[in-house]
Amino acid sequence: MAAEMPVEAVHGHKAPEGFISKYIFSYDHKVIGKQYFLLALFSVFVGMVLSWLIRFHLVWPAAHIPGLEKISPTGAAGGVMTPEYYLSLLTLHGTLMIFFVLTTAPQGGFGNYFLPIQIGAEDMAFPLLNMLSFWTAFLALAVLMASFFVTDGPPTSGWTAYPPLSAVGPVAGPGQGMGQTLWVISIAIFCVSSLLGALNFIVTMLDLRTRGMSLMRLPLTCWAWFVTAVLSLLSFSVLFAAGALLLLDRVAGTSFFIPAGLVFNDRVLPHSGGSPLLWQHLFWFFGHPEVYIAIVPGMGIISHVLSCFCRKPILGYRAMTYCLIAIAILSFTVWGHHMFVSGMSPYSAFLFSTATLAITVPAAIKTLNWLGTLWGGKLRLTTAMLFAIGFVSLFVTGGLSGVFLAQPSLDVYLHATYFVVGHFHMVMGVAAIFAIFAGAYFWFPKMFGRMMNESLGKTHFLLTFLGVNCVFMPMHFIGLAGNPRRYSTFVANFLQPLLSVHKFMTIAAFVTGAAQLIFLYNFFRSMRKGPKAPMNPWEATSLEWSIPSPPPFDNFGGRHPVVYRGPYEYGVPGAEKDFLMQDSPEGVTAR
Amino acid sequence: MASDEAMGATGVGHPHASPHAAERSGSRMEASLYAISSRKLGMWLFLVSDAITFAALLVAYSYLRVASENWPRPFRFSPSIVNATIMTFVLVTSSVTMVLAVRAAKEGRRRGAAGWLLATMLGGVVFAALHLREWLTLIHEGVRLFQNPWGTPLFGAAFFSLTGLHIAHVCAGVIYLGAVAIGAGRGRVSADAVEISGLYWCFVDLVWMFIFPLVYLMSARMG
Amino acid sequence: MNQPGERMDLGPSTGVVLLVWGGLLGIAVLEVFLSFRQLAIKLMLILLMGLAMVQATLIISYFMHLRYERRSLILTLMPALIFVLVMMVVFFPDSFRLYHMKAR
Repeated sequence: MAAEMPVEAVHGHKAPEGFISKYIFSYDHKVIGKQYFLLALFSVFVGMVLSWLIRFHLVWPAAHIPGLEKISPTGAAGGVMTPEYYLSLLTLHGTLMIFFVLTTAPQGGFGNYFLPIQIGAEDMAFPLLNMLSFWTAFLALAVLMASFFVTDGPPTSGWTAYPPLSAVGPVAGPGQGMGQTLWVISIAIFCVSSLLGALNFIVTMLDLRTRGMSLMRLPLTCWAWFVTAVLSLLSFSVLFAAGALLLLDRVAGTSFFIPAGLVFNDRVLPHSGGSPLLWQHLFWFFGHPEVYIAIVPGMGIISHVLSCFCRKPILGYRAMTYCLIAIAILSFTVWGHHMFVSGMSPYSAFLFSTATLAITVPAAIKTLNWLGTLWGGKLRLTTAMLFAIGFVSLFVTGGLSGVFLAQPSLDVYLHATYFVVGHFHMVMGVAAIFAIFAGAYFWFPKMFGRMMNESLGKTHFLLTFLGVNCVFMPMHFIGLAGNPRRYSTFVANFLQPLLSVHKFMTIAAFVTGAAQLIFLYNFFRSMRKGPKAPMNPWEATSLEWSIPSPPPFDNFGGRHPVVYRGPYEYGVPGAEKDFLMQDSPEGVTAR
Repeated sequence: MASDEAMGATGVGHPHASPHAAERSGSRMEASLYAISSRKLGMWLFLVSDAITFAALLVAYSYLRVASENWPRPFRFSPSIVNATIMTFVLVTSSVTMVLAVRAAKEGRRRGAAGWLLATMLGGVVFAALHLREWLTLIHEGVRLFQNPWGTPLFGAAFFSLTGLHIAHVCAGVIYLGAVAIGAGRGRVSADAVEISGLYWCFVDLVWMFIFPLVYLMSARMG
Repeated sequence: MNQPGERMDLGPSTGVVLLVWGGLLGIAVLEVFLSFRQLAIKLMLILLMGLAMVQATLIISYFMHLRYERRSLILTLMPALIFVLVMMVVFFPDSFRLYHMKAR
């Protein structure tokens, strides 16, 4: 046919040599996955320290925090945090946690590492793009961290960066000069990283499945990563556009988001014609799918872990898949629930509210299926399992408060109170993190070839589970009492009785944060000194457990696995052990 | 189809083989859902996301325009709308030359493919030149990102940002096509790669089909 | 999957390409013609956007070859894109509200 056009050469899959190509600019999805983890680990550490500073300041606003004046001479002169610097810290806390922890670790970390293996492939579809997507994320983080060290510090506008504050430039006060500009640039770079990653995930899952791995035999983790990638592909594009317009407002004098007649420091700004509401629409159009990007991979991990440690197939595999897809589609219809108090028509509010309530249905189906999987299972309460069960509990807690917020009539009161802070921390800051922990404990043996210490793990779980409930449950109550969010101090009379609750939450936050040291110690010590892990320590069924721990550079050592059955064949009657691996050709089928 | 995939499927020049190798038909991997190469699917997905970015910008522009008073309508039929129409003709024709380049590549005609690719690039360059000339004229008349002599300052902001992003895509496309043309002429890139570049170029044309009416025609000066 | 007007795998035939080319240019001329008529803004917008969508469909189907691809590809790409674009239209009620709120 096309005789003169050449067949592109097929290169053999050679192992990389040299430190740089093995560990720095690696094309190996496993190395890139670990790099994402390191990035997320750094970000969560900084984010947690910021949360400690926030909680400390709320209780002891006049306290002198040693060292803070070195980081920001203007924001914390004498070590005492100014109100603006408080806002800067919470802006970076939110930005780091949402973008650089929850959007990286579950997808870029676990997904990158395990998607190719679970589908039986050697690597992702586009290894070069994979490497670029990590280093772009790294660049985005570097730009964001740079905002700490510019003269006026990081921006004060929250992770939501609402204009006009975020758009008018340094006239709006500390942090709104270079700090905000760096923030916008960082997020724009991050959009590129996410888009490249999303492309890779989608094509990999569609094109690189090994023989026998039909779509309905994929582990639910793969479905979750796929759905998340689709969400990323469609939503980050809008954030990129919004960020471009915001950047133009800041540096080029445009007025996309700045209305006429704004007065700052007795000066009327020369801008006119823009609409701050437009930013809210664009941002939340991205922002709502973003929070599902944060939780959906976790849901996949939980389904995967629960099934293994209940020794039962996940209840309703097909329903779980369809619910993931339903959640993804619906997530594009609900963004207005972040804008109920923006002055929208009550009819719009009604529509957004209905859609938001509708999204609880597939989420509830998934929760019931998790509970149904647990019911009657032969539970193996490993640490990963404890975190998985903890996820289900916390997802219910966090999800329920969302049902309250979905009603416009209630939200008019609850908007911008601690009720909202409690809600999103429960679902994102706790449930999603529990899913990351569950995945970490579950997959550590495979990634590092050693076992983590179970006693330390269970202690970590118990302290964390109790701790997060102590930190975030009270927020719902003080929010109902009217405690506003993003305030650096509470001077109003009606808030004084709540200060003791704040003190309790702050202490709980420090204790819970300290408990994470147990995890870190366990993690890094086991990496070197833990007992060697067998190929399949959990007796799990998916393909990652059919290769050595840790895997060779091309995952399957040159062979191409063939898949004969679905991913959750546990408790199989007549099987030699109580499970059948996906690539096991035994004639026994579970039905 | 299979040989197309064979040609388009694997990458050149990086240490790991692209895993989507030639034997896709059932022996090693599950059959492809779409019967296109992974790279082509990747390009389609990228174009979907880029389409959404442009759409978000167009929606933002429309939103602000609806909410604005005194949006200027400065584009007279001659020279502005005539110029924009000629630009449209040039871009559409360059899409045609692109389609012909893809066909030449699929038929194995190396020089034909390179030639048609060069014609497409030429179309892109002419488009960009006409566009830049128009920009300079507007700038000379006093239009900036933050002001213009006729009406709301948002006009310049919207105009330059929308057409600016588009022309950046055109320029990137010309460079991309240049690389593909060199490769095609030397017989080093596959027909699939040419087709993938064609997808990008036609997408750039497609976006212009929306910018032309929304930005130019809706600001045409009557009478 | 061969469509009429397509030879095996080579995309649309020359005739079809020229027809689409003519169609695209013709629609562009029609758009210019319409824009200089004294039409109500809403009608003008609907007509222009409708014509632009016809142009987009022609380009995607023929020049970008989507018409000749498997239906699964069309169903994967187009509904998602159209869904997201339609959802963005929900921004506009706020834009109209701003318009009506302006002091006159």
